[in-house]
Amino acid sequence: MRRLKQAWELARDFREGVEDPVEHLYNVFEAINRWEARVNAYISLESPDLLVEEVERISRSIRVGEKIGKLAGLLVSVKDNICTSFLPTTAGSRMLDPYTPPYNATVVERLLEEDAMVVGKTNLDEFAMGSTTELSAFGPTRNPWDLERVPGGSSGGSAASLAYGGSDLSLGSDTGGSARLPAAYTATVGLKPTYGLVSRYGLIPYGNSLEQISPMARSVRDVALLLDVIGGWDPLDATSLRVDRPRTFTVSKADPRKVTICVVKELSEGAEEVIEKAYWRILKKLESEGVELRDEKLPVASKALPAYYTIAFAEAASNLARYDGIFYPTKGGGSSWEEEVELARMKGFGREVKKRILMGVYALSEGYRDEYYIAATKVRRVVRDEVLRMTRSCIIASQASPILPPRLGERLDDPLKLYAMDVYTVIANLAGVPALVQTIEFHNGLPIGVQWIGKPLGEGELVSLGLLVEELTGLAGVVAG
Amino acid sequence: MRVVIGLEIHVQMSEAGSKLFCDCKADYRGFNVNANVCPVCLGLPGALPVVSKKSLELALATSLALKCEVPKFIVFTRKHYFYPDLPKNYQISMFERAGGVPICRNGVISFLDPSTWEWKTCRVRRINIEEDPGRTVYEEGGITGSPYALVDYNRSGVPLLEIVTEPDIETPRDARLLVEYLLLMLEYLGVTNPRLEGVFRVDANVSIGGGERVEIKNIGSTLDVEKALNYEILRQTKIREAGGVIERETRHWDAMRGITRPLRHKEYEEEYLYFPDPDLPPIAITEEMVEKALRIAEKADLQVLLGELLKLNVPPEHAWSLLSTKPSLELFRKTVSLGGDPQLTARILAVDYKGELREQGRDPYDPSSWPPLETVLELVKLTLSGVYPYDTIKGLVIPALASNPQARLETVLPEKAGDIEVAVEEVIREEVKAVRDYLQGKTQALNYLVGRVIKKIGRKAVDPRVIREALEKRIKSVRST
Repeated sequence: MRRLKQAWELARDFREGVEDPVEHLYNVFEAINRWEARVNAYISLESPDLLVEEVERISRSIRVGEKIGKLAGLLVSVKDNICTSFLPTTAGSRMLDPYTPPYNATVVERLLEEDAMVVGKTNLDEFAMGSTTELSAFGPTRNPWDLERVPGGSSGGSAASLAYGGSDLSLGSDTGGSARLPAAYTATVGLKPTYGLVSRYGLIPYGNSLEQISPMARSVRDVALLLDVIGGWDPLDATSLRVDRPRTFTVSKADPRKVTICVVKELSEGAEEVIEKAYWRILKKLESEGVELRDEKLPVASKALPAYYTIAFAEAASNLARYDGIFYPTKGGGSSWEEEVELARMKGFGREVKKRILMGVYALSEGYRDEYYIAATKVRRVVRDEVLRMTRSCIIASQASPILPPRLGERLDDPLKLYAMDVYTVIANLAGVPALVQTIEFHNGLPIGVQWIGKPLGEGELVSLGLLVEELTGLAGVVAG
Repeated sequence: MRVVIGLEIHVQMSEAGSKLFCDCKADYRGFNVNANVCPVCLGLPGALPVVSKKSLELALATSLALKCEVPKFIVFTRKHYFYPDLPKNYQISMFERAGGVPICRNGVISFLDPSTWEWKTCRVRRINIEEDPGRTVYEEGGITGSPYALVDYNRSGVPLLEIVTEPDIETPRDARLLVEYLLLMLEYLGVTNPRLEGVFRVDANVSIGGGERVEIKNIGSTLDVEKALNYEILRQTKIREAGGVIERETRHWDAMRGITRPLRHKEYEEEYLYFPDPDLPPIAITEEMVEKALRIAEKADLQVLLGELLKLNVPPEHAWSLLSTKPSLELFRKTVSLGGDPQLTARILAVDYKGELREQGRDPYDPSSWPPLETVLELVKLTLSGVYPYDTIKGLVIPALASNPQARLETVLPEKAGDIEVAVEEVIREEVKAVRDYLQGKTQALNYLVGRVIKKIGRKAVDPRVIREALEKRIKSVRST
């Protein structure tokens, strides 16, 4: 299997003069040229000339011994629902094509402070509403491990760009599994942080109370490197936690004898047989290393998926009200303001987005609000209480996806099947706790992932366990092709 | 027939410094169109609201001043409706159901009828903090005839207090007095400047004889509160007397024509899809915050301030005049604290100086319309010394100061009696003919002599009446000898 040097190793080697960042940039260009036409990971790419100019500046700084940022010389791809003032930000929607925000998201500012180069903006399901990255106004993204299959979603573009070597690190977003499902499908690593650890300022919202911008990479250590750069309190986000920048990059591999894993029945069942087998194999292997496995139950899990979708749709319906043909590029051409709003929204939004707006409005309507939205928030509270109780003493193990990456089009006809892909991942969003997905095996050339769910601000422990698992699987840094 | 009135008063917190959720200015007046805006108050995708501390502090002080029950935490809700000047198509407000928690419930306002010195009370149902929308400007033809509308977002996001009373008010006059008193309270609390254009709007509910209530929207001045209610009561009375029935409806106050007009009936039930804003987690109202707000409220307690004045034997009407013109009260308090006679100071400031400002068309609410403390103190001392009769102070000195408050007192003082006597003596000696004419009954000759005396005294301020008196006295004594 092909492996690339991990990003943190690259950054170290650039700094030490062992590797040339200019040469690395050309390698990434080459990968993009070779793959991009088939994969469609990017919606927009930064001008190569600008990147060359920037990398030469960094290279010069290194040569003369100037201080450089932690991510100097690394190429980061950014999901296209994260605002950049220097590249268009479309959220995968015709509604925002073309739209360039007048400001950078906080996470983007932090990338730039550490001398990262943003190589381009990655494809996603429109407004992050989807689990396959097929529902983009810019066409579907394909999975580099099997071009007939989806890369998962909605951060499929970010995952695919990593999987073919078209970026070193990537920022995705995760509302109900949108960074973790693609990680499972592309043999990459996705970490959904504790709610409030990473600023949402500049993330085009889908489900505000659920989502976090999430670091994605080809190894656990790399994800930690990126998390440390983007995390920590941001005064521009009222939901941001008043905590210092995280320090997960330096944690060491877990001592298996000090790890307890809760194997939650409801999160360990219901997947395809090959997935279930792989899941138990890694758990047994960990147990043989000295990890304690504990059986647990989470009866409320069966209600988590509907509760998650109810809350997400309600918030989405509200968030998307602003697209009315006034500020944004898609115009209705109506003869009155009312007509303009109707036509702009009819033209600008795709089917799935419209469907979710309608369901969200329904869930919030007078007379239905108690039955749907309020009921969902109650389920959420139970989920949170249960997960918080459990994660006080263990890391929860869970499957990452019930199925292997589906073929393009396979899931779209049946919305319930599409939504069910998130069954294992939404728990962490409802509870606001961190969760990491990494690859454990390959089956017929397709990756199988596992998910670890931790306690609030327990990212360090997840990274620590992830490093142990990575050592057992030997899958850090793998790329397709 | 018994009249029942309730009010809903929207006041901009113009003195809060910044807008409610961003750093743009709370007082948008004087800006170029769409120059007081940023991603947050334009509602751009990804921008997030962060509550301004100052707005919260002022809203809390207002709640405490109105003796409200203040909750342990407050929760903002989103209120959805599509309107061109509402950039997100939802307003961040505080709905009291669906999870929202307003800053104040169950308060009471005591307000003064300054002409009878009677205190009245009205219960306050609740106070919300919310954001103002932008402003729609219609071209020629107005809302119905204009071919297009322009939107200015400078006002978008300005902090508003929505103060809702119980229907405890019995007359239109009391409604006006309540609003006037409330605005004065808010001015002293440092919440608002009531004289700014468009800084408050009142909606009034009124019913007569136990009939249905009618809501009157869009009342923009305190005088119009009384006018609109008088009109509406008269309208309803006529209908009742003719045997008609009052229907529950919303009417619009047309200030130009002085009438209320029915608003177009809504075709569907109002559906605002309220839910707690997920971008704004509940905000705890800590004891520390309450204490700080209490200190603000105590300093601005109008009843206490009035009581202090009355204790100094300031007549009630002067006390009210001082209180209702904040710069004059401040000047009064400083003057008295430095030994100025309270009653005389009150008379000079609250009656004569303020009257003179009005006479000259100058703004008594503008602190720069008032002389510095030293000038006032000197003036009070001078008046008490008896060097000048009060008529001279009132007729000459005060008008001169009012037109130039920064003038040094000695430059606007008239000649002392002694100087006038010398001049009179000389004029009588020089103008023998005119004196004779006067003695023979030609009274207009006296005017001539007055003119001569003024000329002799030179450019200094002098009261012609004083000269006239001095001349008459002197000529009489000449005749008698």
